[in-house]
Amino acid sequence: MGVYIGGVAAVSIQEPLSEEGIFRPVAYSSPQVRCIEPEFRKFLEPMVARRMSKIVKRAIVASSVALEEAGIPMPDAIVSGTGLGCVEDTEKFLDAMVRNGEHCLQPTFFIQSTHNTISSQIAIRLGCHGYNNTHVHRGISFESALQETMLLFGKGSIHSALVGGYDELTPPYFRLLGRIGYWREEVKNSLHIVQEPAAGTFAGEGSVAFALSENAQGAWAQIEGVSISYACPDFTREAGLFLHRLGLNWKDVDVVMTGKNGDLENDRVYRNLSLPAGQTTAVYKPLCGEFFTAPAYGMYAAAVCLKQGMLPASLAEDGKEIKGIRRILLLNHWQEKDYSFILLSSCGD
Amino acid sequence: MENVVISGMGIISALGCGVEQTLRALREERSGIGPLKYLQTEHWDIPCAEVPFSDEELRERLGLSAEEVVTRTALLGMVALQEAWQTADLRHTPDKRLAFINGTTVGGMEKSEQYYLDFLENDSRNAYIAAHECGACTEKIADFMGGFSYVTTLSTACSSAANAIILGENLIRAGLTDIAVVGGSECITKFHLNGFHTLMILDDAPCRPFDATRAGLNLGEGAAYVVLEKESSARKRGIQPLCRLAGYGNACDAFHQTASSEEGTGAVLAMREALKTSGLQPSDIDYINAHGTGTRNNDASEGRAIMQVFGKHTPRVSSTKAMTGHTTSASGSVEAVIAVLAIRYGFIPANLRFGEAMPELSFTPVPHTLENVKVRNVLSNSFGFGGNNSSLIFSAVDPGA
Repeated sequence: MGVYIGGVAAVSIQEPLSEEGIFRPVAYSSPQVRCIEPEFRKFLEPMVARRMSKIVKRAIVASSVALEEAGIPMPDAIVSGTGLGCVEDTEKFLDAMVRNGEHCLQPTFFIQSTHNTISSQIAIRLGCHGYNNTHVHRGISFESALQETMLLFGKGSIHSALVGGYDELTPPYFRLLGRIGYWREEVKNSLHIVQEPAAGTFAGEGSVAFALSENAQGAWAQIEGVSISYACPDFTREAGLFLHRLGLNWKDVDVVMTGKNGDLENDRVYRNLSLPAGQTTAVYKPLCGEFFTAPAYGMYAAAVCLKQGMLPASLAEDGKEIKGIRRILLLNHWQEKDYSFILLSSCGD
Repeated sequence: MENVVISGMGIISALGCGVEQTLRALREERSGIGPLKYLQTEHWDIPCAEVPFSDEELRERLGLSAEEVVTRTALLGMVALQEAWQTADLRHTPDKRLAFINGTTVGGMEKSEQYYLDFLENDSRNAYIAAHECGACTEKIADFMGGFSYVTTLSTACSSAANAIILGENLIRAGLTDIAVVGGSECITKFHLNGFHTLMILDDAPCRPFDATRAGLNLGEGAAYVVLEKESSARKRGIQPLCRLAGYGNACDAFHQTASSEEGTGAVLAMREALKTSGLQPSDIDYINAHGTGTRNNDASEGRAIMQVFGKHTPRVSSTKAMTGHTTSASGSVEAVIAVLAIRYGFIPANLRFGEAMPELSFTPVPHTLENVKVRNVLSNSFGFGGNNSSLIFSAVDPGA
């Protein structure tokens, strides 16, 4: 029994809830870019929306659109990945405590500060009592969540699931990460960031939700496999083993989509991969920016490609559109410690 | 289906360092709750259950220099992981794939709250910026022992460690790892001490779980890990399993971000799922190590849920949080270790300070340690903010085989 992406929705730095940004992405010239917000009032009652932080609102909108598209009113499981969790509310509580002392603090921001607020707010809205979990492991938080979900499908304990990658980046946290070398001081054109390598990249944000089921009908793509690996000594070999375990090899892969983001150190790892000669490669971080769950946007981009059967010029690393795409391997690493592998294939024949 | 067993474990909490000290404290009904000694806070008068060692003492114990960039949550995790590693004899497993799954929510917050203004305004504390993330904390702990090829972090507030145990079992069953070291680590921070304080769920006296007069919880801290593997794998390595993980359930209360539903909907589902996966009947359960935080809301909701699942014949129930304090993200594995000890040594740990029965419940907790009890199956509950409810069942294994 395969696992399929029946619905997907993204709130990102591109046009929200639309594939437009994949084909005709907006270019930015700033090291920090925040999400283009959807019209929340279409989805949330104003009173409810006012109490929610941005990350929770985006997650609820993305997940409800994805579930609706897949025709899944109530998923069997909700599993989320978030590298930093609810930063905005955490900072509000922390800032008040540090600056004003430990009295007269408001509980609201604390209540919504925990990483699992996202998964649980989605569950509360849906009235979903099923399996519920939150993965918070750096740059592979989303893949870790996705892999657990695949395990649950594999053992037959669920038949549908909502999986997502959600991260927000506030200006103060952007500044903190800047101090430890995450960002460039200047960005001329975010879409060319990989072609103009330098130290650091640019920051994005995103909430990307996937509704998964065992129904191939009308699906965007099939998830053939997901794996995470810690401190693996040989990235190429590990990717080869991943394909091998799925009964495949490199020639079965049409496109290798990597987590290149223009940062010299980060991209060196991908440049050192020994891919087959002439292997088509693609990148997505120029479209969505760097954030801990950016690979969720990568999987979204890959699903769009497979549904259309083509790799658009906006994603192709050499800028050339290719048709007849059937299988995409997503590779990602986080600071050369955490590695992830996702294989998607098209559902059509 | 082959048993997944616990082949080793390690723990540090207010009850002391290591399984031996923990066992002794439990049997002697010693509470770790008292005045704060190490955490610098304006709320110095709120009782907590701190691990009785300073950061410097923990560093020394672990052989870490004063310059090593490490947070207290990571230090506690290292101590517990080291013991789990030794008791399961993981040194001699070069041919096994090892996974490490850690539950934590505060991560490096303990340093972030001290250095927050430096983070924003100067470069003096940059080394601790990256240490803030939960995942960074997990990797610090994992790298202390090394050898893990799968490392991840879960955060479902107070059920984080229980969910780490569930994920570990699933990884082993799916053949994605041979051995999984699973649990959680959490130190007390000003951040969540104040958070719980604003919610008015901290008792200003030592807590009284399942007592009619209970007035809230006491925060604790600690770390604990259990080593999971298939029974055949443990026996082939010459390790006598401590017990087996017989069942587990994860469900969402889907009611409120911080409160439990009155009838404990999520708790009922989690306990029933755990019973179902274990193949056991409610009457097979000898002891329930309850979540039992001591808040008005939790104990009423959990108590009703237990009544709903177990009917008139409630097994013996106690909350050991009256001794360990509420170790939040670590509580699932701290209490897993306690469950294993109850099975191994045949005793029911006490629910300290119980005096008056809750009128809405048909059962009362075990007020004093019961020795010489045959304990074969223990149900352990962990419920987190957001309604993340998980239940685990640990069962005795036959010594032979």
